[in-house]
Amino acid sequence: MKISFPHMGYSYIALKWLVNHLGHECIVPPEPSKKTLDLGVRYSPEFACIPFKILTGTYLEVAEKGAEIILTSGGMGPCRAGYYWVMHQYLLDEIGKKVKVIAFEPPLCNLRDFWQKLHRLRVSGGLSVKAFIQVLKITWEKIKAIDDIEMKSYHIRPYEEKRGETTRALWKALEFVDEANREDEVDEARQEGLNVLQGVRRDESRDPLKMGIIGEIYVVLEPSANHYLQIMLGEMGVYSDRSIYLSSYTRKNTIVNLEGDIFQVARPYLNEAPIGGHGVNSIGETILYARHGFDGVVQLAPFACIPEIVAKSIIPAVSRDFDIPVLTLFIDEQTGKAGVQTRLEAFVDLMEKRRELKRQRERWAI
Amino acid sequence: MKKAYLGVDVGSVSTNLVVIDENKQVVAAEYLRTSGQPIATVQKGLYSIGQEVATHFEIAGVGTTGSARYLSSIIIGADIVKNEITAHAIAASSMVGEVNTIIEIGGQDSKIIILRDGVVTDFAMNTVCAAGTGSFLDQQASRLSIPIEDFGNLALKAKNPVRIAGRCAVFAESDMIHKQQLGYNNEDIIAGLCEALVRNYMNNVGKGKEILAPVLFQGGVAANQGLVEAFNKYLEIEVIVPPWYDVMGAIGAALLARRAVEKKKKSSFKGFNIQEINFKTRSFECQGCSNACEVVQFFENDDLIARWGDRCGKWELQAV
Amino acid sequence: MQVSKIGIPRTLAYFIYFPLWKTFFEELGHEVVLSAATSKAILDRGVKEAVNDACIPIKLYHGHAAALAGKADYIFCPRLVSVRSHGDFGTETFCPKFLGLPDMLRLAMDDLPEIIDVRVDLKKGKDELWQVFLEIGSKLGNSGEEIKRAFTKAKKVQREYQRLLYQEKLPPEALELIEQKIPVPKKDKSGGSYDLQVAVVGYPYVLYDAYINAGLLAILEKEKVKVYTQDMISDREMNRQAKTLPKSMFWYFSNRAVYGALHFMQRPEIEGVIHLTAFACGPDSMVDRLLEIESRRRGNRPYLSIAVDEHTGEAGVRTRLEAFVDMLRYRRNRK
Repeated sequence: MKISFPHMGYSYIALKWLVNHLGHECIVPPEPSKKTLDLGVRYSPEFACIPFKILTGTYLEVAEKGAEIILTSGGMGPCRAGYYWVMHQYLLDEIGKKVKVIAFEPPLCNLRDFWQKLHRLRVSGGLSVKAFIQVLKITWEKIKAIDDIEMKSYHIRPYEEKRGETTRALWKALEFVDEANREDEVDEARQEGLNVLQGVRRDESRDPLKMGIIGEIYVVLEPSANHYLQIMLGEMGVYSDRSIYLSSYTRKNTIVNLEGDIFQVARPYLNEAPIGGHGVNSIGETILYARHGFDGVVQLAPFACIPEIVAKSIIPAVSRDFDIPVLTLFIDEQTGKAGVQTRLEAFVDLMEKRRELKRQRERWAI
Repeated sequence: MKKAYLGVDVGSVSTNLVVIDENKQVVAAEYLRTSGQPIATVQKGLYSIGQEVATHFEIAGVGTTGSARYLSSIIIGADIVKNEITAHAIAASSMVGEVNTIIEIGGQDSKIIILRDGVVTDFAMNTVCAAGTGSFLDQQASRLSIPIEDFGNLALKAKNPVRIAGRCAVFAESDMIHKQQLGYNNEDIIAGLCEALVRNYMNNVGKGKEILAPVLFQGGVAANQGLVEAFNKYLEIEVIVPPWYDVMGAIGAALLARRAVEKKKKSSFKGFNIQEINFKTRSFECQGCSNACEVVQFFENDDLIARWGDRCGKWELQAV
Repeated sequence: MQVSKIGIPRTLAYFIYFPLWKTFFEELGHEVVLSAATSKAILDRGVKEAVNDACIPIKLYHGHAAALAGKADYIFCPRLVSVRSHGDFGTETFCPKFLGLPDMLRLAMDDLPEIIDVRVDLKKGKDELWQVFLEIGSKLGNSGEEIKRAFTKAKKVQREYQRLLYQEKLPPEALELIEQKIPVPKKDKSGGSYDLQVAVVGYPYVLYDAYINAGLLAILEKEKVKVYTQDMISDREMNRQAKTLPKSMFWYFSNRAVYGALHFMQRPEIEGVIHLTAFACGPDSMVDRLLEIESRRRGNRPYLSIAVDEHTGEAGVRTRLEAFVDMLRYRRNRK
């Protein structure tokens, strides 16, 4: 069968490997482009959020390339994303595309359904249970390696001597992961990739500002949806750390996973959790970034995103109490790169001035 | 010859050029419509402001700002490129040192900047729509067939400003037509439009911001006395319209240039007479990898002077 | 016990649960202060206070809450999480904005009375509702005995209200009947003077708020149209409709609108379905497209979607409704 899936950052590298090694043919989703968005806007409800529209566009593009099945995630609400696959199936049917959307609902909600869908994938590809588990395991290792590499690139880029070197090193490193086929190979590729990034010529005398990136998962994870915000920041000399990675919940080494229950952190401000998506997380993460000495936070969210609007209404109080500036960027199909850049530049100026004053005060205090 | 600094603000609607002297005083200013041709407009503006100042002043530094700040910096040879929010803040605090709030309304965007002790502490720009921007009034003016320049005075004559509902221009227009059909006079309608713009601005851009006096009101539409009145009424603070309200971004850029050349020593300014130069852009699709970036090349006559659009930095020109 | 003035915003769940709340508070000996019906002033205030990106209903709620400042000791803004276990995972809730509403309200305005934001999450079991009311009553200083009595009475009045709705009364009229304590009449068989039956589905706080929907129900009445809404349908029928979809949505009021519409689509005497949606409502972007597609698939029932926002004019709504009604009558005459 010809199988595709949503494009989300660099995860396609791992998912492509997964589909191919399950014995199916992978239709790799193209990186979302202007054309993807145009298609999506044309066929999606007007007030659907931008991730929905990008996915509509992506699904139409992969359908054009012959995809018969689209694998995606479900959800138990109350964020709209959990209902996407149903709406996408309706839309694809209406347009007349013969594509089936198969959604994996959270296994905690319906374990049986989850296993059944996996089982069908396995049997149709002709894999033994043992081989199947091995394939899933390697895929997961790949996702983790990709995340490690991407994370590292955001930490290296603000120091790069020549623009683009980190980006090229990142691509090289991702290629290593792409080519790996065994567990030990993935581990090796990961190490090699990190080394390549470590090898980028850097000016260590720089003192980059530190910025936390929070918000809705899709626009945070998919660089083309946020106008390559983290790369833009890196090239402006800003160190950025983002709150979400696909492999996030197994991590212990990121700021956001250091302090246990994020809902507990947010509780003084929002006495209810979850409220869908990453709404509560956004509030808690702003607090965590402030506590860890970050200079500022950018909240990225689709225009009209329900949970992030709730967060946005509460964040000013957090920002005041913890003395950390927060810039909210709501993204829709009309958002241009220039607008994002202007706001970021001004925000970076603001953070710089604040840091200067803060350090001055500290010096006086001594 | 005395030293002076040039600031250039190239936005989507207007292009402003300003020359300031060592005492931060404006000695010349140009205000042009960009009309979708930033390069030609900058060339033209540069030439005419050069006519005015070139005999008395030597340009010691140049700064650019506005949405076409990068492109114009290449054309002119700028010493510093800065976003318009920072530029506006710099200009405002040089005029009114203790300024706490800046309301800036341009043709297609509007912003609010909050300063404390001369430092920007918060800012916001309009989000997706044109509510609370100058184009809102422009559209209604053409609908009423009244020149936008007359709006301010007419608004001041209003006795009972009409309430015009509507966040965006389209809705406001239908409500305005409705009010016309009910027989309201133009003065009251225009004053109502000014109040609607202020309301939209405050609900969109100014929401949740701590607005403290002194408040500077700048940008092209600050000429409109009706709007000034509407702000005074809404904020219950007398807003200040600075003398060079319509070129504040350019002044900020010039001030930044002054600071930049202190470190840099020599300006990169190419001179006023660049209108003969043929600037052009050509692009190609890079075949280096599957990303297929569209690389834009920028030529000065036949010399390649800049390249952008590549993600990997491979086509970056070495700094001269 | 001190007599307290309980402020209730006349919006959101008011249209569904007011008899329950009012009876409860009054039986406890407190005074209920209701905000005035939505007006330009209330809407403007809401637009001013609420976060800019919020939908109209949330802005309206801010306006109604603000209108109660200085007039009440408390604002009753229960945190509505869920009222039943429903949906594919039993996790149906209210919209995320409802979940965060008390916090949003507190941070938006400083001068509000204390907010009673008791958490209402009934999916855990039948006893939960009692716990909710026990918490409210205790907070107000009433004894367990008093609370029990008031709760029983309140539930009884709410059942009467529910029965009126099932008898195809619209909530504004039903609320009035309950208020005047008129004994519930037997089902009205006279039929009235309508010649067209249309279903209107949407959120109660949009559907029954005559200001925000520009008098939609009155316009239909004048057009001699009998109106049905989802609130006239039994839960059992709703659940039956739920099974006809690939997956339930996550939001209580959205599900009710969807199931209601699907139910009316299979009743031949109901000639058209109108979906009233709130501008910038997240869930409605899904609801609306789903209903549009299903109305075509389920017997090609004429379907009209009307969006309302802060500047909906009566003229716009009237034009659309008249055209829709004309079309329905024309269709029938052609058959």
